[in-house]
Amino acid sequence: MERLILEVEALRFLEQEGLRVLKSSLVQDEEEAVIAAKEIGFPVALKLLSPELIHKTEAEGVRVDLRNEREVRKAYRRLIETFHASHPEGELEGVMIQETGEGTEVIVGALLDPQFGPVIMFGLGGIFVEVLGDVSFRIVPIEKKDAQDMIQEIKGFPILQGIRGKDRGVDLRSLEDLLLKISDLIERYPAIVEMDINPAFASPKGYAICDARIRIRRGGSHHVL
Amino acid sequence: MEKLPKLFCPSSVAVIGASNNFGKLGYHVMKSLVEGKYQGEIYPINPRGQEIWSIRAYASIEDVPGEVELAIVAVPAQLALRVLEECGRKSVKGVVLITAGFRELEDPGGAALQEEIREVAARWSLPIIGPNTFGFVNLPFSLNASFTSEFSLLEKGGVALVSQSGGFSHLCGFRSFDQRVGFSKIVGLGNRCNVDFPEMVDYLANDPDTQVIALYIEGMDEPRRLLEAAKRAKKPIIAYKAGRSERGDDASRFHTGSLAGNYRIYQGAFRQAGILEVSDTEELLDVAKALDNLPPLGGNRVAVLSSQAGPGMIACDAAEAQGLTLPSFTPGTQDRINELLPPLAIRTNPVDMGPAWYSPEVTVGIVAAVEQDSNVDGILFLATYASANLALMKTMRDYLKDRKSLKPRLEKPLIACFAAPPAIWWEEIWAMDKEGVVVLPTPERAARAMGALWRMRQLKLAE
Repeated sequence: MERLILEVEALRFLEQEGLRVLKSSLVQDEEEAVIAAKEIGFPVALKLLSPELIHKTEAEGVRVDLRNEREVRKAYRRLIETFHASHPEGELEGVMIQETGEGTEVIVGALLDPQFGPVIMFGLGGIFVEVLGDVSFRIVPIEKKDAQDMIQEIKGFPILQGIRGKDRGVDLRSLEDLLLKISDLIERYPAIVEMDINPAFASPKGYAICDARIRIRRGGSHHVL
Repeated sequence: MEKLPKLFCPSSVAVIGASNNFGKLGYHVMKSLVEGKYQGEIYPINPRGQEIWSIRAYASIEDVPGEVELAIVAVPAQLALRVLEECGRKSVKGVVLITAGFRELEDPGGAALQEEIREVAARWSLPIIGPNTFGFVNLPFSLNASFTSEFSLLEKGGVALVSQSGGFSHLCGFRSFDQRVGFSKIVGLGNRCNVDFPEMVDYLANDPDTQVIALYIEGMDEPRRLLEAAKRAKKPIIAYKAGRSERGDDASRFHTGSLAGNYRIYQGAFRQAGILEVSDTEELLDVAKALDNLPPLGGNRVAVLSSQAGPGMIACDAAEAQGLTLPSFTPGTQDRINELLPPLAIRTNPVDMGPAWYSPEVTVGIVAAVEQDSNVDGILFLATYASANLALMKTMRDYLKDRKSLKPRLEKPLIACFAAPPAIWWEEIWAMDKEGVVVLPTPERAARAMGALWRMRQLKLAE
């Protein structure tokens, strides 16, 4: 028996575990959306949460870079209308209002491998992971040196370092810290079978997790999950 | 596994299934032991008794009057259990189970029989190499416990090859006659009944004859145990992993799951455990030879010294692709090179020694000057024969002989690529190869081996 932990629930869990996540709030109507957006601070992103929508961007379930109350209201109504038009019977959990992330998208993953046991993965987000498969693996637990190696051995590492002085490099220490914390988390929660943190934003100021999904075995020892 | 030292260095060996019939494996095992000049007692075991390979045979291992430390078993699979019980009662210290017909079969009966073997072995605390193995050769001990007698002709050296495939062991062994890799041991693990990679790494880490551990891995049930053993070992370990095409779970909706192919995890795990991965058979042998015979590479700065410009250029490209750099020489070295070489070609790193091709003393003088250079961590030295430079190898060999007596001895790896027609230079090359110089056939391979020394150095620094 397995269960998927998605979106707000996954972010809450990671936040409780001491990881930095983008400020996010689950709302059920337009007024709540506006209040949440003002609390978080503009610009914000809206994400429709529904079991019907697995790949949100493809399903037009996401609106980003909303800069004021008017844009939030308009985007909220459009999202709900589009959803009901395309999924008349669809179940809607609500809408997530999220702080806008800045920086380079990275992915951190974890997996329970049948031979190796828990392993951890790192890569850059977007086409780097989806098309090029430019990722590195280590077995859990990792040490600081392993975290550094994982980051440095991907082909896209120069992007994190900053290109020819134009961009400041991202805070590599904070990425190492993210990997070490995920390694530690995976060790402490054997119920976690698979996890994608995708994306997290890496910038000179540190990292912040934007989205995550976690697959757990039911009956695992973890009471939060 | 405290019996492994006895298994690999036994004072007496019984061959169960020994035979005078060329068509039986037991014939070839006897041939290996006898022609390999094993110094201990040999006891052929055959139900008919009589003499086998002119050595008195016994009907059963339990009839042997003295102690038997190693039993090499080459009997049909259905007799294996009974034979192992006899070995247990005889207090044998270890077994090489050449017999096939176990877990490798499609028939599940094979796996069941192997499980029974494992239980018998556990009851008698009996380490088993195999089943389904060609055996092993321990060259410094003159013990060829395999069915291929020619393994005894290999050069002795510090490389221990542990292979999951008998075919790969033979391939590496026979390639090594050309590539001049010296072995301490070649071991075919076969079906890995109770001696698997981690047990071998633990044993070889304490084996005084072994300097480098080379692994050929297809798959493992518990790879973490190998990684732990590798972390414990204080010797360089290299691994060649076959079976790379196995992909991640395409059905996974997670990126991690779809990308987590078994080989990719192996790659990460090797680095984590300080194991240097190699990616083909030649690289395995070249790198093993370099690690066995050369001092560690202190940094990534190499000098390329070439008697002809082209091979030098190739070596530079290959070296840089390996993450090596070509530094400037110190002023003292540069002055010395400028004295030796006329300004007709490039005299900075990479040095084109072309103008001196007729003068072995100049060429070797440049090698000597660069060896002392504090900006240089390693040297790639390339020379091809061209009739007028016939004396070059003799001069180089004399220099190396002199160098050996230098105090303090230079601790800088020198990898050479010398090319010549059959018989020319060969005597000198063979005398030099592995004595402070490792000779490889092409500039690319020389540079790649140097790159591997650098990667190994980085892995060791990480520990």
